[in-house]
Amino acid sequence: MRSFDYQRPATLTDAVALLERHGPEAQILAGGTDLIIGLRDRTIQPSVVADLKQVPELRPAIDEQDGWLSISAGTTMTQISAHPAIRRHFMALVEGADVVGSVQIRNRATLAGNICNASPAADTAPPLLVFGARVLVEGPAGERRIPIDEFFVRSRETTLLRGELVKSIELPVPREPVGAAYLRLTRRRGTDLASITLCCGVEPSGSTRLAYGSVGPKPVLFTDKSGVLADPATAEDAKLAILEEMLSAASPSPRSVRASPQYRRAMLRVLARRGLRAAVERLRGAA
Amino acid sequence: MSMRSVGASPRRVGGHGRVTGQQQYVADIHLPDELHVALVTVDCARARIISVDRSAAERVPGVRLVMTADDLPQPVPRFGPQFRDRPVLAVGETKFHGEPVAAVAAETKDAADEAARLVLVEHEELPPVYTIAGALDPAAPLVQDPALRAGDALAESNVLAEHRYEWGDIEAATSDLVVENIYAFPMVTHFAIEPHAFIAAPGEEGLTIWSSIQHPYWLQRIIAGLVGLPLARVRVIAPDPGGAFGGKQHAKFEPLMAFMALRAGRPVRLVLSLEETFQAARRNSAEIRVRTGLRSDGSITFREIHADYLLGPYADISDRVVGKGSYPGNGPYRVPASRIVARAILSHTTPSTAFRGFGAPQVNWAVESNLDEGAKALGLDGLQIRLRNLARRGEKFLPYDTPADGDWQQTVRRAAELVGWDTELPAGHGRGIALGIKLGPTTGLSHATVRFLADGSVLVFAGTSDMGQGSRTIFAQIASEEMGVPLDRITVVSGDTHVVPYDQQTSAARSSVLMGNAIIEACRSLHGQLRDMAAQAYGLDPQEVRVERGVAHLPDGEVPLVEVLQAGLGTLGGELIGNGMARKEAEPDHPLGGTAAFYELNCTAIEATVDDETGEVVLVRHAIVSDVGRALNPLQVRMQDEGAAIMGLGHTLMEHLIYDESGRIRNLGAIDYRIPTAKDLPLEVLSDVVENADGPGPYGAKGMSEGALLCVAPAVAAAVQQATGVVIRDLPLTPQRIWEALDERRRSPSPEVVS
Repeated sequence: MRSFDYQRPATLTDAVALLERHGPEAQILAGGTDLIIGLRDRTIQPSVVADLKQVPELRPAIDEQDGWLSISAGTTMTQISAHPAIRRHFMALVEGADVVGSVQIRNRATLAGNICNASPAADTAPPLLVFGARVLVEGPAGERRIPIDEFFVRSRETTLLRGELVKSIELPVPREPVGAAYLRLTRRRGTDLASITLCCGVEPSGSTRLAYGSVGPKPVLFTDKSGVLADPATAEDAKLAILEEMLSAASPSPRSVRASPQYRRAMLRVLARRGLRAAVERLRGAA
Repeated sequence: MSMRSVGASPRRVGGHGRVTGQQQYVADIHLPDELHVALVTVDCARARIISVDRSAAERVPGVRLVMTADDLPQPVPRFGPQFRDRPVLAVGETKFHGEPVAAVAAETKDAADEAARLVLVEHEELPPVYTIAGALDPAAPLVQDPALRAGDALAESNVLAEHRYEWGDIEAATSDLVVENIYAFPMVTHFAIEPHAFIAAPGEEGLTIWSSIQHPYWLQRIIAGLVGLPLARVRVIAPDPGGAFGGKQHAKFEPLMAFMALRAGRPVRLVLSLEETFQAARRNSAEIRVRTGLRSDGSITFREIHADYLLGPYADISDRVVGKGSYPGNGPYRVPASRIVARAILSHTTPSTAFRGFGAPQVNWAVESNLDEGAKALGLDGLQIRLRNLARRGEKFLPYDTPADGDWQQTVRRAAELVGWDTELPAGHGRGIALGIKLGPTTGLSHATVRFLADGSVLVFAGTSDMGQGSRTIFAQIASEEMGVPLDRITVVSGDTHVVPYDQQTSAARSSVLMGNAIIEACRSLHGQLRDMAAQAYGLDPQEVRVERGVAHLPDGEVPLVEVLQAGLGTLGGELIGNGMARKEAEPDHPLGGTAAFYELNCTAIEATVDDETGEVVLVRHAIVSDVGRALNPLQVRMQDEGAAIMGLGHTLMEHLIYDESGRIRNLGAIDYRIPTAKDLPLEVLSDVVENADGPGPYGAKGMSEGALLCVAPAVAAAVQQATGVVIRDLPLTPQRIWEALDERRRSPSPEVVS
C-alpha cells in the first residue's frame, strides 16, 4: 500500500473543499469495500483519502418526503435491506443490495459507494434505473440532482464533477404498485461478481422498464410503453421481438474470463424473459 | 476392554485456537530485527534475462539487500524432491510467470514492495509453452536445459518421463464393444486459506527456518544440503499449516530465504499473497485417452489408458504424481489386460505438485466416465456395471500390488442406498455413481516418542503436520486409549525438527496408520516398562503382570497405569519414555518402489438436476461412502470425506486456471478463480463409512481423507448426462459449457450430443 494523507472532514463544506482541492488525487472512504482492496492492490493510489463518515448530512438515514424516499450516502446495504419502506416499494432494490458481496461486506458497503464505483456489474444499478432514481449531489457550485440514467459513464467513471460528492439517492415512491424483480447470473451461488445483472419493472399501465448491466461499459435502461410486454394475452413472439430490441445494446467483452459473449447474450435473453415474468407476476400479486 | 477414546469423537485438539484466531501460523510469527522480503518478477512466463539493475531499488529507504542470481553460489544451486531442477532464483531465463529474478529485503514490507518494483530487469519475452499440444510440438522450445538431464533419453523433448504399466494381452481380448474417448482435467490450485509463509533466521547454532510446510524433515534435508550445514544445524519449525492439500509438501521459497538470511545476517520473512500462492503451486492438468473393451454383460475385457499430465517447468514431486496416480488408473476393478502409458510433460506454467488425490482424480475422471459411456451403450446402469467388475476381497486386481483389502461391494451398495438409486427419479433429474481407489503410502518411516510424566499426564512427540486433518486429535486418542489417561492430560508436540523425532512426511493419508502405529509401539514400550515396575512395586513376577489398554492386570485385580507409574517412580518422580517406529520398506522391483500400505476406496453417488436454459447444475443429493477399516474418530472421518467431496466440486463445476499467450494466469486471484462456498453445496450431503477393522493401522484403521475427491467429477457428469442427455468430457462442468452442449444439441438433428 502506498502511503497517503488521511483526512476526516467534519462538515459537508469541508468535505467538498477537500475534494475540490485534490480532485482525482483524492479518494472517498465511506464503507471502504472497494477502496481498501484498491489501495492494497495498488490499483488505486490516492494522495488523500477523505473519510466522510463524520459528516452529519451523510450519516446513515432513510427518509420519506414529498413523495420521494431519500437514502443518505452513508447508508449501508444491510440498512437498505432491512428498511420497511424500501421493502414495501422497492423490493427489487433489496434483491440487488442483498447480493452485494457477503454479509460482512454488506454491513459496510454503501449504496452511494456502489454507484460511485460505477462498476458495470453493480448490483444496485439496474433496480435504481428501473425505479427512476436520482442522485442528490453537493459540490462547489452547490446542490444539484442527476437522474440515475445520466450518472454512469463507464467503469469507475461517473458524471460527478471535481469537488462533487453524493449526498443521497432519491427514489420516487410509486403512487400505484409497480411489479419489479432483480436477477443476476453468476458462476456460483456464493458471493460472486455478476456476469449479467438485470431488473425488470412493470407499471399498472403496462409500461415496462428493463435495465441491465455487466454486458457493456455501463448499466443501461430501456422503456417500452406499448404495454405489449406486460399483456398476458400477447403472443410470446411479439414480446420476444421487443425484448430483443431492448437487449440490443449489450456488448459483452470477448476478453472476459467470466463468460463468453455468446453465452452472455443468450443468458441476457433468458434473464430478461424470467425478469419480465416475475415482474408481471408481482404486479398481479400486488393488485 | 472397551474402547474409551478410539472410536469416539472428542473435541478437536487445537480446534478452539484455530477458530478463535489464537493459533500462531507462520505469518503471525515476528522476530526482532526481521527484514521483509518482496520478490522481483517479470510480467510474462518466459523471458531471457539480459540484465538486472538494482541501483534504484537500493536507494529506497529501508532497503538492506537486493539479492540476484549473481549473489548466490555459482552455479546457482538447484533443488527439488525428485530432481535438482529448480534454481533458487531464475538463471538466464524465467520459466513461469511469478518466478523471481531477484528479491529485496527491507525494514518494512512497503519498502520491500516499492524497491522490488524499482529493480530494473531488462528482458526479452520469449514464446512460452502452456498446453500439452504446445509442449509436444516438435518445434516447441525446450522448457528444461538438456544439460540438466544428462543421460536422459528424453532430454531433447519436453517429456520429463514416461511411465508404462502393462499386463495381460490386449490384442487377444474379445469384446462386444470398445469405447474410446479423450477426457480433460483442468489446472486447479489448492487454495489453502493460509498463504505459504517462510522465515529464515541465521544464528550461532546454524539456521532456523519457519515454514508452513507439510514435510519439515524433508525441508531440513534440502536446506542442509543447499547451504552446507549438518542436519543438527538446520532447525525447521513448522507450525500447524492452515490447510495444505499437497501444495505445501515441498520446498518453495525456503531456499531463497535461507540464502538471503545468511547474506543479510538477519532474519528474513516472506508471506505470499493469494496471487503469489496461485503462482506457486497447482494440480497437474491432464488429457487422458481411454479405450475400454467390454462384453455385453458389462465385464471389462481390456483397457488402454494414455494419460498426459501437464507439469510446470520444474518437477517438484509431479513426476511421482504422474507415476503413482496413473498406476491404479483402472480403479478397483478386475481388468484382465491393460496398458497404461502416462507422461509427465514440462511447460512454462505454474509449478505443479501434489494435490489431494495425487494424480488419481485425473485418471479416475476419464476412466469412470468412459465406463459410463460403455454402460450406456450396453443398456446397463452405472451401478450394475460397477458391481459386475468390482474386485472381491483378497483378489489380486492390481498386478504386482496389494490384493483388494476390503469388502468393497458393501461400500458401493451403501452409497447406492443413500442416494436412493432404485427409487423413481423426478423428471429432469439424473443420477450418477462412481468408484475410485487411491494407493496409500508405498514406503514410509515414522518415529514417535511418548513420555509418561510423573503426574500421569502424557506428552506425545509425533512429527506429523496437523494441517486441518486432525492428526493431533487422533494421536491423543491413541495415547489415551493405550495409557488410560484422559485426553485433557495429553499434549501432542509436533512441528520442530530439533525437538520431535523424524517423520518422513505428511501425505498419502499415511499418518493415522504409520504415525499411529509408531505411537502404539511407543506406548507398548511403556507397557513393558510398566509391567516391570508393577512386578517390582507389588512383589510379583513380571510374568504375572499383563499390561494392556491403560491397565495393569495383576493376579488379584486391575490397576490403572497411572497408579503403577506413581508407585514405581516413587519420591524422586521423573518419567518413563517410550519410543516407537513404523517403517514400510521400499521394494525395488515394484513399479512404484513399493506396494500400497492400503487402499482408500470411495464410492460417490449423485442426484442432480440442470437448468436447461442456463446450464446451471443443482446437486440434489451427494452420497459419499468410504471403506476406512476403522473410524478412529468418526466425526473427523466424515468431515474429511465431506471436505474432500466439496473440494472435488471445485474442479467438477467451476475451478480452472486460464492462461494467456504470455503464460500468465488470467483469472489470478479470488475474484475470477471461484471455489465452492457454503451456498454451492449440494442440497443434501450424506456420508457414511464402512468399518471392518481390516486396515493395517491402529485397531484396524486404514488411512483416509483423499478418497472422496476421486469420484465427484465422474458421478456428477453421469448425473448431468442422465438429466440432459449431453455427454461432457472436459472439466469443469460450468454452466456455460453445459449450455453450449445443450445449445449444440438444439441446433443439431441428432438427439444426443457430445461436447
